Amino acid sequence: MIGLALLLALVGQVGVLTPVQGVFLRVTAPVEQVLTTVFRPVASTLSNAGEIGDLRDENSRLRLENEELRNQVGELQQNAADIKGLREALDLTQGDTSVKYVAADVVHRDASAFTDVVTINRGSNDGVQDGMVVVSTQGTLMGKVTKVTATNSFVRLITDTQSRVSAEVQETGADGSVKGTPNRGLAFELAQGDIQVGDTLVTAGLGGGYPRGLPIGRVSAVSGTNQDLYKKVTIEPGVRIGTAENVLVRTDFIPETLGLDD
Amino acid sequence: MKMFVAALATVFAAICQVTIAPLFPFGAVTFDFVLLTLVLVAAFGSPQRAMLCVPIAALAYGFLSNREPGLLVLAYLPLLPLGVYLEEVPIPLNHYARTAVALVVTGVWARSLLVLGAVVAGADATVWLVVRDFLLPGIVVDLALLTVFYVPLRLLGWSGQGMALSRGGYTSL
Repeated sequence: MIGLALLLALVGQVGVLTPVQGVFLRVTAPVEQVLTTVFRPVASTLSNAGEIGDLRDENSRLRLENEELRNQVGELQQNAADIKGLREALDLTQGDTSVKYVAADVVHRDASAFTDVVTINRGSNDGVQDGMVVVSTQGTLMGKVTKVTATNSFVRLITDTQSRVSAEVQETGADGSVKGTPNRGLAFELAQGDIQVGDTLVTAGLGGGYPRGLPIGRVSAVSGTNQDLYKKVTIEPGVRIGTAENVLVRTDFIPETLGLDD
Repeated sequence: MKMFVAALATVFAAICQVTIAPLFPFGAVTFDFVLLTLVLVAAFGSPQRAMLCVPIAALAYGFLSNREPGLLVLAYLPLLPLGVYLEEVPIPLNHYARTAVALVVTGVWARSLLVLGAVVAGADATVWLVVRDFLLPGIVVDLALLTVFYVPLRLLGWSGQGMALSRGGYTSL
């Protein structure tokens, strides 16, 4: 058995099993779909029943936030119109900022200890490649593609303990690293500067793994003393990562890799 | 035929592991349907069947979750020698107790090994955190799941089998 384990590990590393894996995922997809369709509403009902109090508080908070955001949208629309007018006046042309996405459904999820990986129903046939960034339908960062078969891809979510994202606080520019925690949460590490609860975190774009400016979440707790070099910062993801059913794969962004031969 | 059914049940358990288990998390722990199926195959079928189901489980779960099948074989491996040991140990344990001990010990080993794999890959963890948040709740969840499945199987008339491998012998012609 130990010999078999070593053999499987070796064969897995060489990549011989990848085509078999693709076929297996295709064959089991209908069963997965049936199970998900049946059990997801049950889980959702149970989850909501246990969170009615929290949902009520969240609802009233969101109403206030919604009103505030509506006001901000009005101001921003006015500003956008002003900027457009000024650009036209200065005869400036805007660069091509088109972003290309491939929409995908989450087929299943592996969420055991320290691990948070989802499988989506888009693969190399749809133009998905290793390293591509995956965001929610609202544009919040969710993870990165780690393996691609012809029809499916595996996405390591940012809440996985192996995930690292270079990030910065939008309000102050304090930068650090967002990392998944063992209980599938998020922590902001190696960050110096004044960080307050409610601050927004976005990707910093350092290292070339993620594009700059993708929203990640908000600071939900800051602990530590002024003597600490780095405070312990907990992040609340901007999207309910565990229950997302649809995601977008950003196909226009190919992560940079450092070539040792260059 | 029975082997085919056991293999099919193992693959189905792997599918349940990535579709149903994440929907019902208990803190940071989820059900381990794959381990439960292997234990039930060993307890109600035969250890030979369980031995063949271990690599099938590792491959199916590995393919579905993009985990290393080799690591999963090692994770579920202690079940078989443990079953033999529990059969031969001079402590009076009934079939449910033997099955429960095999499940709990293999579960603790499997979770520890997978956490170790994550730590080697760069995750931060302390022994206390692993024990408090994963291993202890994992034992409770495993035992609850075993009871939910074990009792109806016995009520259906399935009889518990021994987990010891039958030894070969010589017979006179």
